[in-house]
Amino acid sequence: MSVLRAHGVHKQYDGLEVLRDVTFQVDPGQVKVIVGPSGSGKSTLLRCLALLEEPDAGTVSLEDRRPLPGEVGMVFQRFNLFQNMTALGNVMCGLREVRRLPKTEARDQAMAFLTRVGVADKASQYPEELSGGQQQRVAIARALVMRPKAMLFDEPTSALDVELVREVLDVMESLAHEGMTMVVVTHELRFAHHVASSVLMMDGGQIVEEAPPEEFFSAPKEERTRRFLALVE
Amino acid sequence: MLASFDSHLFWSALSSGPYWRGALTALELTIVALVTAIVVGFFVALGSLSSRRGTRTVAWTYNWLFRATPTLLQLYFVWYALPTWWHVFAQSWFTPFIAAWVTLSLNEAAYMSEIIRAGLLSVDPGQELAGRALGLSRRQILRKVVVPQAVRIIIPPVGNEFITLLKLTSLASIISLHELLTAATELTSSKFVYNEPLLAALVYYLVIVSILMVLQARLERRFTWTSRRRRVAAPAVPAIPHDVR
Repeated sequence: MSVLRAHGVHKQYDGLEVLRDVTFQVDPGQVKVIVGPSGSGKSTLLRCLALLEEPDAGTVSLEDRRPLPGEVGMVFQRFNLFQNMTALGNVMCGLREVRRLPKTEARDQAMAFLTRVGVADKASQYPEELSGGQQQRVAIARALVMRPKAMLFDEPTSALDVELVREVLDVMESLAHEGMTMVVVTHELRFAHHVASSVLMMDGGQIVEEAPPEEFFSAPKEERTRRFLALVE
Repeated sequence: MLASFDSHLFWSALSSGPYWRGALTALELTIVALVTAIVVGFFVALGSLSSRRGTRTVAWTYNWLFRATPTLLQLYFVWYALPTWWHVFAQSWFTPFIAAWVTLSLNEAAYMSEIIRAGLLSVDPGQELAGRALGLSRRQILRKVVVPQAVRIIIPPVGNEFITLLKLTSLASIISLHELLTAATELTSSKFVYNEPLLAALVYYLVIVSILMVLQARLERRFTWTSRRRRVAAPAVPAIPHDVR
């Protein structure tokens, strides 16, 4: 039984085919890592899964239905925290506006999730005052507090200073261990190696290869994957 | 040095009823026109950012019409021409104040819509994306995320518009609105002196704008999102060429 599914998804922008008949599914508790060159359609696929983009053809489903707001959490490369709200305000926002929770309840839940990602002491700070790693962890808490059935990560560490990458990957790894269903677009191949249930190679708007990490990194079947890995490693 | 300066006349002008009431009228007109212009301008800005071509055309035409024609001409139209088109405007409720309010609001809304449009566009599109990913509606994203951040950007130009409007209220003296400049010119023509009455009016304008500048600096701090409100010296108002509308 799959949680999140994309079936025959096509997407084009101004006549440019970004996704070409992508079919893909994630089972509960699985972590799928997507790698591939820029422009291969990785981010667009995530955006379709999060319903930020409507596919031109094909379907996206969560447990065989259309996802409700907040059910698929999304974490962005550039964090995209609401600049006019504190860390706590960011995490409370979805609970207040979408879930319509009373203020005290929303605050308690938001604080619990800020604690969970290790930034409870920054609750009253604004995004501008936080490091990139702290901002990204707040962004993860903001998505998690909605109790998503799956989490999508779009290059979550690409905008971070090298020494801040670890703290974000640690949070993601512990989420994976807790059984969160995840789809991660990343260039962190060590993370893919350690945490992924399977690794997907995308190129030219298609999934070229999918394999468990040991196999994907040591004995890739496709020539395209071999060339890509040779370049990034 | 002034050739002759009657300080008694100056002080009595400064504290006289007509000046005080005139300044109050000018300030009231400025505030109601600015508020109306912000509301109308906000919707015109949304219109000009609309995905619908027809809506964009309406917004564009509005801005074109009100920015391409002199404010004074618009004032003449509203005060003299409008009552000949519709009889309701020929009735006693249509006072010079209301005519000036309508004119300045509609005129200012065109400028304001461009300021607001720039403010809305300056907000990182990632903010909207994050809001949608959380499941916020477009209206919620606008109200909770985009507008507060746009406000930060538009405060300084809106301050400029306030000042411009305050000075434009003097146009309404032409349709016999008793505002500040009317008080000054009436005094000059009754006493046949210029220095004292005009200087007294000048002082009123300076005081009003000074108060505005203090309020603006406060408002800017209010819309700066750091836990310790940033204490930067208020940047100097950029020199803008005299606004001839």
